[in-house]
Amino acid sequence: MSRRVLLHVGCPKTGTSYLQDVLFRNQSMLREHDILYPADRFDAHFLAALDLMTLPWGGIETEAVGAWDRLAAQVREWHGTAIISHEIFARATPLQVERALASLGDAEVHLVLSARDLVRQIPAEWQENVKHRSHVTYARFLETIRDPERGSRIGSWFWAVQELPDILERWGSSLPPERVHLVTLPPSGSDRGELWRRFSRTFGLDDLPLDLTAERENPSLGVPETSLLRTINQRVTSIIAPPDYRPLVREVLAHQTLSRGVASARLGLAPDDHAWARELSRSWIAVLAERGYDVVGSLDDLVGPEPGTFTDPDTTAADQLLPPALDAISALLVEAARLRAVEERLHEELREAHEELERARATLGHRARRKVVTTLEDSPAGRGTLDAYRRLKGRHRT
Amino acid sequence: MTRASSGPAASWVEHLREGGTTPWLAWAAGIPAAGDQGSRQVLPGAQQLELLRRINLAGGTAGPERRRLADRVLTTSAAGRGKADLPLVGLPVPGFGPAPVDPAAVGAHELLRVASVLLADDLVALGADPVRSRWARPWRRRYRLVGDPVVATSLREHLRGLGRPEGGPRPFVVALGAPLDDLLAHTWTQRCFEHGSKPWAEWLRFWRERDQLPARADLPDSVRRWGARRPFVRVVTDVERLPRQVGVRSLPPVRVPGADQAELARRVAAVVGLRVPAHERPALMRTLQRRIPDTGTAPVGVPEREHAWVAASAARMTRTLTRAGYPVVGDLADLAPRGPSAAPTGADDEQVLDLAIRMIVDPAWRTGKRPGKQVER
Repeated sequence: MSRRVLLHVGCPKTGTSYLQDVLFRNQSMLREHDILYPADRFDAHFLAALDLMTLPWGGIETEAVGAWDRLAAQVREWHGTAIISHEIFARATPLQVERALASLGDAEVHLVLSARDLVRQIPAEWQENVKHRSHVTYARFLETIRDPERGSRIGSWFWAVQELPDILERWGSSLPPERVHLVTLPPSGSDRGELWRRFSRTFGLDDLPLDLTAERENPSLGVPETSLLRTINQRVTSIIAPPDYRPLVREVLAHQTLSRGVASARLGLAPDDHAWARELSRSWIAVLAERGYDVVGSLDDLVGPEPGTFTDPDTTAADQLLPPALDAISALLVEAARLRAVEERLHEELREAHEELERARATLGHRARRKVVTTLEDSPAGRGTLDAYRRLKGRHRT
Repeated sequence: MTRASSGPAASWVEHLREGGTTPWLAWAAGIPAAGDQGSRQVLPGAQQLELLRRINLAGGTAGPERRRLADRVLTTSAAGRGKADLPLVGLPVPGFGPAPVDPAAVGAHELLRVASVLLADDLVALGADPVRSRWARPWRRRYRLVGDPVVATSLREHLRGLGRPEGGPRPFVVALGAPLDDLLAHTWTQRCFEHGSKPWAEWLRFWRERDQLPARADLPDSVRRWGARRPFVRVVTDVERLPRQVGVRSLPPVRVPGADQAELARRVAAVVGLRVPAHERPALMRTLQRRIPDTGTAPVGVPEREHAWVAASAARMTRTLTRAGYPVVGDLADLAPRGPSAAPTGADDEQVLDLAIRMIVDPAWRTGKRPGKQVER
């Protein structure tokens, strides 16, 4: 029985990929310190989230059958502290939250929510949409999320995973406030290690000799790179299936190629949207302050930065798109060359297998038997004779 | 998130659990809302509540069975990335979370997200029907069916039950042709009853923009994949003459699912994919295909905007088959599309929801006779 479960449910774009990668790579060492991060693959908790929330996800969900129950069982059986972490848990409905908490048994559950100011989250979420096949313009995205009806898929998802008071109400209302930990992301320009220190303190990882090398992150893109990707999506989303899109577009193009444009302008909010986002954040901060949660960092971190220069990704000029477009073409050509090499190697292996088969068939005895079989197969009586013979030999096949 | 233990919301839930059909606004008009505040009980979303009300309207079981069904509906999460569980309009709201709604105004699409989970769970609980088979007749004609997936799947099962399974040494590759618009519709429909698919319009657009045909609708490619030599190929466009090609005197008519049945299956398949290992899904979905009630709705049709592409693809396929010189049973001209249909090209969500509710209320599709097990062996 776990004595303690740290259940990290979000939010997306708050350094969760890095945290989960560190936990995954250091599982053995964590176990030695009585901390369980139960995952046989890096995305194990993502699959558990899909299962818990009945979320089809471009075909990946077929790997998620029973994933939540298996994860919960491992957690229940653990004697020390167990950690569960994935950002899309933030979207769970009250019924799903009830099921999740009930399946963790009698452990002392601590809810962890990492949160960043809306001023940075809104552009980051649009980028995330673009990296998941969307070609919605930035202006339309903003219009959608500002619609109070939240009737669209984008709007309902955005608020389900970003509206802090609602997420904490859904997940934390049955827990005492001191067991709800709100980890705020430090403001832009802070020491890069500060977020990890906040995570480390919350998850009880201080003083453990963890390998903190960044192997898996979810890097952000600059304005022209995101704009290019959105334009590419307009052309390919309808003709590239998700299993092909993920490795070719999201991995090769977005993560491995376009994210290298670190000198490009970063995406922000136009003045009107900026003012709206900050005002909304302040209203959330007031609600959160009243609830008495354990805040790791400061609620003031959630106000967001002052307005800066806004570069509109919907009006990126062609000459700004050209450099990342050329990078994209060369990356895809390199990938195509790699795949051609794989194909050539497979053809070669197949050729060798065929040649071996032909050598085996080249004997006089085999040719004679083949002639008899083909002659018999041309008539029903012959086929019956062959079937009887094969049954006698115990190698009948249909 | 709405919570309630007394007041109009809690009493409405109880009313629905007892089989009530009063809409929320009419119910709430007569009861003060004050009692709904301060409780810790989670109220189901408007989607679950409205679906239960519609189920009650459709009638069905009574007594404990009804309460069990009601509790299942109220605790079933909606599948997929749609709206969150929606709070009821007229109750105190905290100022954040999704906007409250009148449940009667929740669209059929949202209700189907819940209904498809209920049906998927029913299907998983039912399990796959056993496949009827007999000892393979030694003198049978060897064949392999490709082409029209609805027809091929149905006939494969029928012939297996007669002791004439597909395959064997040097089989005749029998390519089942049809007007290409029908062939595409059947290909999508059968996908819905196997692994699921994109919506019909999106699926068609995917292939049109690629200017390719899906594997099972592409007859020349299907024949090539089996590596058959020309004398061992038959392209059949005349269904009357199909029985002889597979070595029997007659074949039963093939049931082509309607647009609403296929769309419901598509949604159920997505959830079944989260409930059972991938290799078990096709057998479960084919069980649904055999048991899904008839509604009389026409199968999906190719919309006008896709017709030029379908016609061009059919002409290309005909040319390829002609050049390949495969023996044809019938006439390759029959591969030309029938033309744009004047009728609707797909089912609307209300039709699909009606079918889903009918299947939730009436368990006949689950309790009906299973096909016979192995007849011999």
